[in-house]
Amino acid sequence: MAVTAVHQLAQCITCHAWSADRSMVALCPNNSEVHIYRLVEDKWEKMHVLQKHDQLISGIDWSARSNKIVTASHDRNSYVWNLEGSEWVPTLVILRLNRAALCVQWSPKENKFAVGSGAKTVCICYYEQENNWWVSKLIRKRHDSSVTSVSWHPDNILVASTSTDGKCRIFSTFIKGVDAKDPKKESRFGELIVQLDLSPSWTFGVKWSPSGNTLAYVGHNSVIYFVDDVGPSPLAQNVVFRDLPLRDVLFVSEKMVIGVGYDCIPMVFAADERGIWSFIRYLGERKAVSSGSRYGSQFSEAFGKFYGQAKQGVSNDASETSRTRGVVHENCINSIIPLSRQGTQIRRFSTSGLDGKLVMWDLETEQDLLELLVH
Amino acid sequence: MASTLRPYLTCIRNTLDAAMCLQNFPCQEVERHNKPEVELKSSPELLLNPVLICRNESEKCLIETSINSLRISLKVKQADELENILTKKFLRFLSMRAEAFQVLRRKPVQGYDISFLITNYHCEEMQKHKLIDFIVQFMEDIDKEISELKMSVNTRGRLVATEFLKQFI
Repeated sequence: MAVTAVHQLAQCITCHAWSADRSMVALCPNNSEVHIYRLVEDKWEKMHVLQKHDQLISGIDWSARSNKIVTASHDRNSYVWNLEGSEWVPTLVILRLNRAALCVQWSPKENKFAVGSGAKTVCICYYEQENNWWVSKLIRKRHDSSVTSVSWHPDNILVASTSTDGKCRIFSTFIKGVDAKDPKKESRFGELIVQLDLSPSWTFGVKWSPSGNTLAYVGHNSVIYFVDDVGPSPLAQNVVFRDLPLRDVLFVSEKMVIGVGYDCIPMVFAADERGIWSFIRYLGERKAVSSGSRYGSQFSEAFGKFYGQAKQGVSNDASETSRTRGVVHENCINSIIPLSRQGTQIRRFSTSGLDGKLVMWDLETEQDLLELLVH
Repeated sequence: MASTLRPYLTCIRNTLDAAMCLQNFPCQEVERHNKPEVELKSSPELLLNPVLICRNESEKCLIETSINSLRISLKVKQADELENILTKKFLRFLSMRAEAFQVLRRKPVQGYDISFLITNYHCEEMQKHKLIDFIVQFMEDIDKEISELKMSVNTRGRLVATEFLKQFI
């Protein structure tokens, strides 16, 4: 099975982030605190509790090289936490937002971070050496609705953001003094590079591929959108899938994406040689529904029968109502974070969900997916 | 009559399965607040299309969803005046005790007999398929309860009348 470990760390996990060496995890157990756990001989020990926010913490990101944690909360504030000795010391970041902060992410060079908010704006914060504090710059061009997710392009300048108005917008965040001037791309701060209006419904979970060539995001209408060659003439594709919508995606390689959401099972999407993206399978069941399963496990047969029934519209017996899938997560998975990288590929990742479980997945055991990865 | 019950309930179950994809969403209008958007209706982009499932003219179910909350309103079959009164009294009894049910709304939506309000907090605490099982089970039980009540009212009326009129024999 692709699952390597399942840890029940809280009743409900809103978001989580790993330290650089993957020995510690910071998570929000659906309240205003951040709990940092360390894996000590197979058991998780709560090392620190960071209490500064008043309301639910909606986003946590842990920078790999500078070892700083940034948290953003529904109370419109964001703190950058530095480890001094054995204590995490918070530094307030004045975001100048008048609504909740919904998501946060460190830039690839870790000198800036982006915050998406319910004030329909994206806020870019950078460290000002002279005054020794974090300054925020609001991107003037507003979305039409709350910004649900932000993601940095590998070049540290472009930021993609999705919103509940269905659009994905890509902005330039070039800041004089922080970013090196690039003669090829002349861009001002807050300039809207591309606006993608592909989804009729809310959009979440935007991510760039490792090279920055492809962008993926999900819509609440059970569609995942892939945009290649982001720029003046982007090439967009959408893959409609059968079940419930996704919440977040992760590029495990240039050509493979794992999506997680309300189905409680990760879904694998891959692009073939022509660059056409399609749904491959779920992680955790062996094969797709109708084709006979080579492995013949009881679970997958029963699973296939259930889906076969549902497709033919035969109503289930009243007692056998719940969709007992025997899967790992019992409730919606809302975030997926990479665990280990091999070059530009990610072999191991972790998911956390509303059931309070933190599950580690490994793609090494999935032969067919490894073949697609290596392509 | 019973032949339309199964498809009706299956349809409601499948719609609820798709509609109950809720997430925590802070209010866009008021800072630091978190309100069920389906009740507030202040930001139209956060609302999804309401779905109306009708079994016949007298029984229907309205499902309205938003990003963090879901409202299900039911209209129960009421064949005659007696059933009308019984339904109203019974459902009002349940609605008044809405805190105990957690997902029940204290007042039904205009034009319906009973309403449920499910928020993302309910989905975090309880399992989604169990919530859907509860709603569907509730709908099945309502019909049974009302018929039982009606039968007991009629039986009691007959007994009382018999006893009363015995004195005139």
